[in-house]
Amino acid sequence: MQHDSVETAGELLIILRHAPHGSSWLREGLDAALVAAAFGRQVTLLFCGEGVTALVAEQTAGPLGQKGTQPTLEMLAMYDIDTLLVDQQALDERGLTAADLLLPVRPLAPPQLAAALAAHPLVLNF
Amino acid sequence: MILHTLNRSPTESRVYRQALAAMGPDDRLLLIEDGVQGALPSLVRHFGELEGRLFALREDLEARGLAGRCAAEVLVVDADGFVALTEEADKTVSWF
Repeated sequence: MQHDSVETAGELLIILRHAPHGSSWLREGLDAALVAAAFGRQVTLLFCGEGVTALVAEQTAGPLGQKGTQPTLEMLAMYDIDTLLVDQQALDERGLTAADLLLPVRPLAPPQLAAALAAHPLVLNF
Repeated sequence: MILHTLNRSPTESRVYRQALAAMGPDDRLLLIEDGVQGALPSLVRHFGELEGRLFALREDLEARGLAGRCAAEVLVVDADGFVALTEEADKTVSWF
């Protein structure tokens, strides 16, 4: 189910600000999201800054076979995590559009970012 | 109202811009750890429109010798003040 506004979104907002492969922050954030969802929390993800690169389609494992995060992203729907918010400005800065992303997302203009944080009782930043 | 904490200096990391972008009109920003460097008069401009909502943690300023060097518009709070800010906020979001 796609929420119409950030005001009607879930209980837990997880902000993902780091790119895949470079550090474990993105994986940690996704793990937290899956665990929360497994415990019945309604989870919203917000991809911010460098974090938007996590959504770029056609990612692979690392050069030494390190696991990527794309398989985890593809599992989100199974955990009923389907509100994926994206910082539109971060996409623009990187020349990315929704067509470049592997999942359907809701782009947020700058003023909507604050509204998204305000609308969720719990916010975790990764 | 959300209390945002920031522990990186604006000269070292651009994360402060993400924090500012995510702040609502009543939200407050507390500079902690290396973030307190942003309270220096030459750097405080990075937090331009936060008059009255920009705080810095005294203990971290003192540890860095910066307690007497803060810009006048920065509200300096000690650890008890940090607790009070936390109590007044609906929630806290850390930027690091």
